[in-house]
Amino acid sequence: MFRSTNCLLSFAGFLTVVGLFEAAVLTRVTAEEPIPIGKLYEQKCASCHGADGQGVAGVYEAALAGPRSVAELTGLIERTMPEDDPDDCVGAEAAAMAQYIYDAFYSAEARQRLGLDAPLRLELMRLTVPQFRNSVADLLVHFTPGPAETRARLAAVESGRRPRGGGRRGQQEAVAKPIEAGMRGLYYGSAGMNKANELALERVDQRIEFDFQEAAPVEGVPVEQFAIVWEGALSVPETGDYQFRVATPNGARLYVNFDPAPGIGKLRDDSGNKGQTALIDAWVSSGSLQEASARVFLLGGRKYPIRLEFFKYKEPTASIKLEWKPPHGIWSVLDGASLSTEELSRTFVVETPFPPDDRSQGFEQGRSVSTQWQVAVTGAAVATADEVVKRLPVLVGPARKAAGADAAGEAGQAAEEDLAVEAARRDELQQFIADFARVAFRRPLATDEQTLLRERFFDDQTDPELAVRRAVVWVLCSPEFLYPELARDEPENTEQLPDPHTVAARLALSMWDSLPDQELMQAAESGELVQHEQVQTHAWRMLADPRARHKLRGFYGHWLELEDRDLAKDQQLFPQFDDAIIADLRRSLELFLDGVIWSESSDYRQLLTADYLLLSPRLRPLYQPAEEQAAAEATDGGPSAETFEPVVFSPHQRSGVMTHPYLLSALAYHNNTSPIHRGVFLSRKIVGRTLNPPPVATAFENEQFDPHLTMREKVTQLTSHSSCMSCHSVINPLGFAMEHYDAVGRWRTEENGKPLDTLSDYTSETGESVQLANARQVAELALSSPAAQRGFIAQVAQHWTKQFPVAYGPETVDRLAAAFETEQFHVQNLLVRIATIDALRNEQASLALATSPTSAMGE
Amino acid sequence: MKSVMKPRNRRTFLRELGVGAASVPFLSGLASLRASAPSRPAQRLVIMFSPNGTLPTEFWPDQFGPDTPLQLKPMLQALEPFREQTLILKGVNNKIRGDGDNHMRGMSCLLTARELSPGNIQGGSDSPAGWASGISIDQQIRNHLQTDPETQTRFGSLEFGVAVPNRADPWTRMCYAGANQPLAPIDDPRQMFDKLYGGAKERQLLGSVLDQVSEDLRRVERRLSGEDRRMLAEHMESVRQLERDIAAAAAQAEPLHPEPEIDPTIELVNDNTPAISRMQIDLLVNALANNMSRVASLQYMRSVGLARMRWLNIEEGHHGLSHEPDDNADAHDKLLRINAWFAGELAYLARRLAETPEPAGEGSMLDHTQIVWVNELGKGNSHTLSNIPFLLVGGGAGFPTNRALDLKDATHNRLWLSLAQAFGDHDLATFGSPEFCDGGPLAI
Repeated sequence: MFRSTNCLLSFAGFLTVVGLFEAAVLTRVTAEEPIPIGKLYEQKCASCHGADGQGVAGVYEAALAGPRSVAELTGLIERTMPEDDPDDCVGAEAAAMAQYIYDAFYSAEARQRLGLDAPLRLELMRLTVPQFRNSVADLLVHFTPGPAETRARLAAVESGRRPRGGGRRGQQEAVAKPIEAGMRGLYYGSAGMNKANELALERVDQRIEFDFQEAAPVEGVPVEQFAIVWEGALSVPETGDYQFRVATPNGARLYVNFDPAPGIGKLRDDSGNKGQTALIDAWVSSGSLQEASARVFLLGGRKYPIRLEFFKYKEPTASIKLEWKPPHGIWSVLDGASLSTEELSRTFVVETPFPPDDRSQGFEQGRSVSTQWQVAVTGAAVATADEVVKRLPVLVGPARKAAGADAAGEAGQAAEEDLAVEAARRDELQQFIADFARVAFRRPLATDEQTLLRERFFDDQTDPELAVRRAVVWVLCSPEFLYPELARDEPENTEQLPDPHTVAARLALSMWDSLPDQELMQAAESGELVQHEQVQTHAWRMLADPRARHKLRGFYGHWLELEDRDLAKDQQLFPQFDDAIIADLRRSLELFLDGVIWSESSDYRQLLTADYLLLSPRLRPLYQPAEEQAAAEATDGGPSAETFEPVVFSPHQRSGVMTHPYLLSALAYHNNTSPIHRGVFLSRKIVGRTLNPPPVATAFENEQFDPHLTMREKVTQLTSHSSCMSCHSVINPLGFAMEHYDAVGRWRTEENGKPLDTLSDYTSETGESVQLANARQVAELALSSPAAQRGFIAQVAQHWTKQFPVAYGPETVDRLAAAFETEQFHVQNLLVRIATIDALRNEQASLALATSPTSAMGE
Repeated sequence: MKSVMKPRNRRTFLRELGVGAASVPFLSGLASLRASAPSRPAQRLVIMFSPNGTLPTEFWPDQFGPDTPLQLKPMLQALEPFREQTLILKGVNNKIRGDGDNHMRGMSCLLTARELSPGNIQGGSDSPAGWASGISIDQQIRNHLQTDPETQTRFGSLEFGVAVPNRADPWTRMCYAGANQPLAPIDDPRQMFDKLYGGAKERQLLGSVLDQVSEDLRRVERRLSGEDRRMLAEHMESVRQLERDIAAAAAQAEPLHPEPEIDPTIELVNDNTPAISRMQIDLLVNALANNMSRVASLQYMRSVGLARMRWLNIEEGHHGLSHEPDDNADAHDKLLRINAWFAGELAYLARRLAETPEPAGEGSMLDHTQIVWVNELGKGNSHTLSNIPFLLVGGGAGFPTNRALDLKDATHNRLWLSLAQAFGDHDLATFGSPEFCDGGPLAI
């Protein structure tokens, strides 16, 4: 049975989103009419649409307003209006009517003139949830030294002596050993309690999946007792819950995202790792295979330290397996694709759950505030304060121990010394908080602000650690942190040169959803970041950071509507289509998009026309053409399960993202295709059309149709009414062209034993008629359509800046589109350009539009 | 190392110091803190552990029998004020055998009365072993009390530790939620305080900060144009709402007994053990008084405890001393002082309970609380698991007191069975390994 999905209503909310920014194409039609056109409107249209297009209650309530061009409106009127007699308003009259409606109240200008719409402007935004989480993470990273220095500071806490030398901040620190894929494995022979008694071998292991059975793992360690420590860095592609699982009949502990502790090299039953909590503690074995798992929330686009300790003591056999389950993934053995031998410090991650950001405009924005959100911010601030206070020895340096009472001197002298030590620590912590606020507010603090900070938190009566705790909570709850545009004292005057700190703040938000890094702060400090070339140079540098790539992955979700998709299929019809296949398909799609965008040509057209799919061994049986499959089997012994390789199809069979099986499966019912879902998606997201809300809510219910009909025939029947066809004349041809793909996205040539008919006439927004029969023709249509490109650009810009691009100036999208075309549809260029416009917001931004950012590309 | 005298202004207390966020969300109202009048008297259980066996000659009274009033030996003098509420049980033996050495089994089979799983932890001799293979008696009773809304509490049970080393193995764990599920005692008073009262402290911290946030919002609002002011106005309203919610939650969660003062600067080092011990006991009694839990354990060190009790002027480690032969007079004297010190801590616990009137009930809290003092061994230098010094104080289980009984080779499974039944778990026919439950609950 079909789920009765209300497919038509589901996209109603999005209609004004894409096209709002299209500059209207003004094609003025001059026609001599005996009756004034306004009168004709009154006669033929006003009864449903109201005298000023405001709508009529109970008839057609939506106001006549939107992004269509006059030509589009003309076509629409000609074909469908008036509803009871579409032939009553055609030809020159339809064109004049369209022009009248457009000028009188439909266009954005008209609406602004009539005061119906507020002018589009850059709105004040708070940090979105990802921006909040990333900013807090990088705020603490700013004060976190590299692993060697962290170890020195923590060792000093134990010994009571302060480490010599300041130590560099940030996570980069000279690492002697080259960084390789996999984890560094240290193989030890044990002697009773002393598990790491003698190092027998050090090597890099790609995966932790060993069954040593009754033997020693490597030569030179006793078979009865040995230990292995694996350590490295874990790259995390997306934000969410990560599960880890350790399976062993022996003892093991897993640490994820920890501070490298001074004594971590030692491995004893009875020493543990000071101050560290294992994510999984399965140190004590219990005579059989134990499988322990745990969950941790991690931010995408980052790397975290990971360490697995393992030992055998007199158990009959030994084995160890380390698996993970990333968001949207399935359980699999962690491997070199996500692991490296890099040594890292901890990155604090705010785990506090937040309410979702506002998506009423079709993309996530920080444009509303609720008590729920305030509770989350406050909870996150308290959790951060806990982290800061707990890690003060790492973030600030260890406190000097009062030596007073141990000295031989008089008691009074000792107490005085203690007071001096305490005062010094108070100063240190006060300075730390001033720095903390400076980094969080993305600008230097004024003198009076520093005074205020001291007076508010650091009076002599307050324990300095309590002061730190309060100050951290305050910083993270204050408007200067939460509203990046409020960090400045004065509103910006667009005539002036932009403030470099503001530019840095905006750049970090658009490129990374985070705070400026050291380099950006230094550039701002020295007054750079005022010319568009300078800004672009930084934007290019930042684009190479994993955080930018992670942010772009968020765009895939937004553009292709990947979130919250239910891909589960009827197991009778598609028995092979299980969770592993779905997880692989998602990975295949992401790898494809990454591969195109981060390639040198970074070509948008490739996204729509690529004739290959990236297939893993699991996906091949389902999707690979039979002849290719046989050939592949003949040539190699089969790659590892996690390898995705391009498989080329005949050009009419596959054409870019829209023919990717993940998307095709998402845009389908659990037991059949859905031309309407696919058609709506293609209209809005690929060919750049806008759709009005359906006048009647209609659900597709399969059982209401003659079972001998094809899907195309059913949909045609369902949408045949003229009130449907104003949109479905666009939707259906696009959807029918995709009928070559079944509900799991496999190529097919017939349905129910009948040959497929995918050919239809499609009328473009400018009224031209095109024949569409397959996906490649849809792609070509999109590539020849300025509206499609503008739609793509607008969506990229919205994801990148959280603002409507038209708010940066009415011409913005057109100019971006012109540059996009000139530069061979280079997506990376587009991202840099958008970030630059957002960061500068003045005539330098216009220059950024006029000149090519490719000069900086080679760097 | 001598402890450092801190200048006066460093002596801040947790009352002032805002604490951790993790344990209690600051908006959760904790209405259950105030005890309501129960239909039957409350029963509570506190299990206290000290390691390395006892000095039998100094522990056991000279006379046993149901009709003989109890006489306490000098080592137990601290308990004299509670003698009439004390019951000493001799002849109760831990007969669990299998993998692991006696310290291991003494500890992990003490409250579970069940064999250890085979494992990879090697003791001084014998075969390596893993965790206990079943639930411990305190958790059994906890689970029983949690099933009844009237005896149900926020935590069910609280596991306190004093100077427990930071490691998890069969020597350091006595409480088990089930097979291979050891429960870690919390030996940091600050951490325990967070767990119990974190929400309140957090609310206090936020109250002051949110005031300032409101002020900041008003300040920046003035710079904004009309449209953008809307969001700031929403923001201010949400801050105000949060302040109101916090105040309401604070009023709702006001505990019957105010939280004790804890020095937040105390370091978790050996020499601070006496101070930490008292803080933990204060927190324990307070948590029971506020009905946060009806079951608690208080674990001093661990089996094979190595503490050097310099506060008793003893430089040698406890475990080493316990191995000395009986005729070593110096070791004997030191062990006497060590065990007298533990008896003193037990007496402090009993006194705190005796001083606290039973909330919504009659008598003192001690009248409704069963303290059970346990040890992993009977005697240190023989490593025997027989004649473990079981000493019970208080009225929680309703056992007749002011006496000592010699049960002559009874299994400790049967003692735990008696305890469980005394707490109303009448359906429990066996506890731990069933083969040691013959004869059912002990007649005490």
